[in-house]
Amino acid sequence: MKLCEECHKAPAAVFLKLAVNNKVTTVHLCEGCAAKKSAAFGAETGIFNISDIVGNMNGYLNDFLPAERGALACRACGLKYSRFRETGRLGCPACYKSFEPQLTELMKRIHGSARHTGRAYAGGGAPKLSKAGAARRLEALKTAIMTAVEKEDFETAARLRDALRELENRRG
Amino acid sequence: MADLAKGFRPYVAWANARGAWPDMIFSTRVRFARNLEGFAFTNRAAPARLTEIRRLALTAVKESGLFSRGHFFRTETLSPQEKNFLAERHHISPVLAATLLAAGVAVSSDEDLSVMVNEEDHLRLQCLSAGFAIDEAYRSALKLDEALGGGLSYSYDGKFGFLTACPTNAGTGIRISCLAHLPALARLGRMPGALESLSRLGVIARGIYGEGTYVLGDFYQVSNAACLGRSEEEFCRNMDTVIRNLIRQEIDAREQLLTGPGKLRTEDAVFRALGVLRHARSISYGEFMQNMSLARMGAAMGWAIGLDFSTFNQLTLLMQPAHIQAAAGRALTPEERDAFRADSLRKKLN
Repeated sequence: MKLCEECHKAPAAVFLKLAVNNKVTTVHLCEGCAAKKSAAFGAETGIFNISDIVGNMNGYLNDFLPAERGALACRACGLKYSRFRETGRLGCPACYKSFEPQLTELMKRIHGSARHTGRAYAGGGAPKLSKAGAARRLEALKTAIMTAVEKEDFETAARLRDALRELENRRG
Repeated sequence: MADLAKGFRPYVAWANARGAWPDMIFSTRVRFARNLEGFAFTNRAAPARLTEIRRLALTAVKESGLFSRGHFFRTETLSPQEKNFLAERHHISPVLAATLLAAGVAVSSDEDLSVMVNEEDHLRLQCLSAGFAIDEAYRSALKLDEALGGGLSYSYDGKFGFLTACPTNAGTGIRISCLAHLPALARLGRMPGALESLSRLGVIARGIYGEGTYVLGDFYQVSNAACLGRSEEEFCRNMDTVIRNLIRQEIDAREQLLTGPGKLRTEDAVFRALGVLRHARSISYGEFMQNMSLARMGAAMGWAIGLDFSTFNQLTLLMQPAHIQAAAGRALTPEERDAFRADSLRKKLN
């Protein structure tokens, strides 16, 4: 009888297939280990094992991201570039500006391109904006401008101010 | 738990068998990843900001008019069982089910549209459609995206497109997924090869509940890997081509099982599986899925299984652990759950 690949003691009772980076791996586990492995979700079937994938994903980004000397960090949220390389997660929209050369390189590798050619977004400028929708968007824009100014991200602040003016003009 | 589940219909429209290949493509999902301008991404935003994002997002969802009589939840008010129930219905991801942050979810009354708030990105909005329906799911998701993007202020950049917490989702923010049932490819051991050729086409296969999940019952979630540098329609067309190619491979594999020397063994396996589904006194979800997969393939091969694909699909949803607990109306031990599952299977199949 096949033994559990985790504890090597109990007989394997559960066969789990996992697709990671396009490879299917089969693991044979006893019921106890399968339950432990899937504790992140309804512990019956061993459906989830998030950490496996997250670990894998980060390794993948890390391989593709150029290393940087010194302490490169996002000027808006303070996220260190080295931290981004570790976690694969950016901190805020402004990180895309702060790490633009590195991200351009990364995008080319993971998407095959570094330039968006899909639908453009002109801000919440949809013509069918309800009265309440417009009021909420005004509120959101004002908050965003204040945040940008606090972070001394004047480029973003200026862009948002233009959007705010446009919205105010439209409302008459 | 019972109360949350009662608010949902027992059967969901997107699980009905429909489209050109109901035996192979269970459902199609199109999602967009979006973030709000002026806020840090979910993992770096302060708790008060996350609450603010949730308030803005859920208000915009309500005002879109697409969620009348829909469901709105804040994750901290949900029990683990209730979160599992929503995850089993594909309305929330395993990541959202596990989050400790101020997150939320909105689900439309037909359960075709849903919006996750404060998952990895501020908004993950999706449309689920029955069968192979990329165009339909894309149009509905786009309509939802436009409705929300009009009221909210998305974070967008002329060069990188829609900005997301992980650079793999930036650009269009689109992910097109088909839930494909590929038992013959799996039985012939051709899945590793098929997956490898998918990766060359910029497509990834995952388990049934998406990223980080196991493959159950030979169901694969097949999605586009890249989402920047081409238009949304081009990504949809590429996925359409890839899925059709995968369908052809599965048809070839089924042909081989039907005509090759292993036919008797396949037929035997299929009917034994049907026997387990019809007569078991205790069955785990994993075992149910293994046997269901074979019986479903038998039905596709035209053998006298006596069940249609809609029944198979609905059972795939209803036999899941949290759904079983909801049907029982109380918390069950794993043993009680397996017995309850076997009982309800016998009632439905005999």
